[in-house]
Amino acid sequence: MTVNTGHQAVLEKHTEQEVILKIENLKKYFPIKAGVIQRTIGYVKAVDDISLEVNKGETLGIVGESGCGKSTMGRTLIRLYEPTEGSIYFKGKDISTLPERELKRYFRRQIQMIFQDPYASLNPRRTIRKTLLDPLVTHKLYDKTEEYDQRIKELLEIVGLDASAINRYPHEFSGGQRQRIGIARAIALNPDVIIADEAVSALDVSIQAQIINLLKDLQNEFQLTYIFISHDLSVVRHISDRVAVMYLGKIMELAVRDDLFDDPLHPYSQALLSAVPEMEIEENGQKRERILLKGDLPSPSSPPSGCVFHTRCSAAMPHCMEVMPELKEVKKNHFVACHLFKGKNE
Amino acid sequence: MENLLTIKNLKTGFPSKKNTTIAVDGLDLHIKAGESIALVGESGCGKSMTSFSIMRLLPPPGEISDGEILFEGRELLKLSENEMCKVRGKEISMIFQEPMTSLNPVLTIGEQIIEVIQYHQGLNRQLAREKSMEMLKLVGFSRVEEILKEYPHRLSGGMRQRVVIAIAMSCNPKLIIADEPTTALDVTIQAQILELMRNIRRKFNTSILLITHDLGVVSELADRVVVMYAGQVVEEANVRDIFRKPLHPYTEGLIHSVPSIRGEINRLYSIPGNVSSSNKIHSGCKFAPRCPKAFSRCFVEKPRLAEVEELHTARCFLYE
Repeated sequence: MTVNTGHQAVLEKHTEQEVILKIENLKKYFPIKAGVIQRTIGYVKAVDDISLEVNKGETLGIVGESGCGKSTMGRTLIRLYEPTEGSIYFKGKDISTLPERELKRYFRRQIQMIFQDPYASLNPRRTIRKTLLDPLVTHKLYDKTEEYDQRIKELLEIVGLDASAINRYPHEFSGGQRQRIGIARAIALNPDVIIADEAVSALDVSIQAQIINLLKDLQNEFQLTYIFISHDLSVVRHISDRVAVMYLGKIMELAVRDDLFDDPLHPYSQALLSAVPEMEIEENGQKRERILLKGDLPSPSSPPSGCVFHTRCSAAMPHCMEVMPELKEVKKNHFVACHLFKGKNE
Repeated sequence: MENLLTIKNLKTGFPSKKNTTIAVDGLDLHIKAGESIALVGESGCGKSMTSFSIMRLLPPPGEISDGEILFEGRELLKLSENEMCKVRGKEISMIFQEPMTSLNPVLTIGEQIIEVIQYHQGLNRQLAREKSMEMLKLVGFSRVEEILKEYPHRLSGGMRQRVVIAIAMSCNPKLIIADEPTTALDVTIQAQILELMRNIRRKFNTSILLITHDLGVVSELADRVVVMYAGQVVEEANVRDIFRKPLHPYTEGLIHSVPSIRGEINRLYSIPGNVSSSNKIHSGCKFAPRCPKAFSRCFVEKPRLAEVEELHTARCFLYE
């Protein structure tokens, strides 16, 4: 496997800023129904007015706690859920309103997904051949059976499995191997974008490291763009180029990886980072000051007024209870949604 | 200081018609009063089965085939079921990973705490109720009267785990076994629960046996770390020593596989292969097939757990 490192690659990454995926004011509300006639009595605002851009070849990490809407956003992005409002541009084309048939023709094969639970995302009654054959046949990539088999074996080797795995069933594999099969399925159609939703969360640490390395290798080899959704901040830090922090359906902070982890600006990002337990490896490593957040995540069906974080924020001002701050650029490429900060051009 | 809990050569397995699946393979462990020990390992290494063995709550057909478990000098494995019931919850209590499954969904929080206190302390209902409110205050609830009347599903994950801790602490146990107590929780809630457990430990001098796969959580709560692989202890040391100077190649690999939240970002180290099942018959060291430092002896002989440095033991031929 070729690992594309060195100065050249770094330079390329910085000059090439082609936007491959762009979302504008994306909203996904789930209706809450009650009563005999199932009247809608309210909405869960899972994704609430999010705009962002994803550059070609980068990894955008999305972090947040459970219920913050990160998975819903991933699924809405590829129209597994229909967006309530807003537009999604893929390579400049608005796909948010495309009918399913056209979506399948132009778009489905270019963007793929890897799921969290390798035990639930593979059909236990189908051999690996059948599982990997589906996407290839759906898009009629080859003519002959041998060509299909050839491609499946090639895919298995790319993800580090033996080609003899082709006739086996999912239960014969360990969690890490199953996740490799899930990855093989995702790259089968040579997609441009892969959405990885908690792709390594169910794995043991030693296996998790293998899969993270595999994902990085594949990205270099096939120029993949990743949207990496996870609750695990250290994993996200390891794999991402840019990171978005979500809270109750909104993006609170969006920045280049090192800016976010070395100098988080939003009080929520600061608390989130300080909460991660660390191994004490260094001799006199400074203990970070821990910011303990009070209380729990409010329900997304009745989010707090104003800034959704004000109920748990240590720096909340009266103004925060009334107006939700917008995501604005505070430093170069560093966006924060907080009243504590003024925009670059304000 | 005398040991509160001593486990000697514990062997636990799951017999079936054909063969026995070994979960714990000759484990030795001791916990002193007030000490916090972390049992670390990946899934299937036998860490949870160790805790179930101590409580004698192994899921059937699991059984303890050998060894002894001494708690304050008493042999737990020889106690009758009735006597064991008096130990569980009163002297040793347990906190599980998923609080929703360890609380009864059709009983209110109050009923569940009061029951434990009445059973173990023989208090009348009114006194038990007062005691349970005191416990809920201890774990950080403010509106305790209301919480007593709530059902578990009305609470969030973090609050449920607080309730579980309140129940576990209600009889002032000498040892708490916490099996992945924060794994199902978000990081900010995890930080709250870890803080709570530290406070409780300080206040009551309770010993903790923490079972976890998360090395970060280990360094937050533990004094001493025991690393398990395939049913055996492979290394044991103080929490500082284990992270700064791991001896066993498995511990070293485990520590290096964890992506860190600070510092340089390098390619992650990964241990090749998969966690081998403890069932397979190995002629040599169980970790040898995955070990980067394995040599011919490792595949033939079984290494012993030996003290390499003071209070730092490892099961590896590199140090013999």
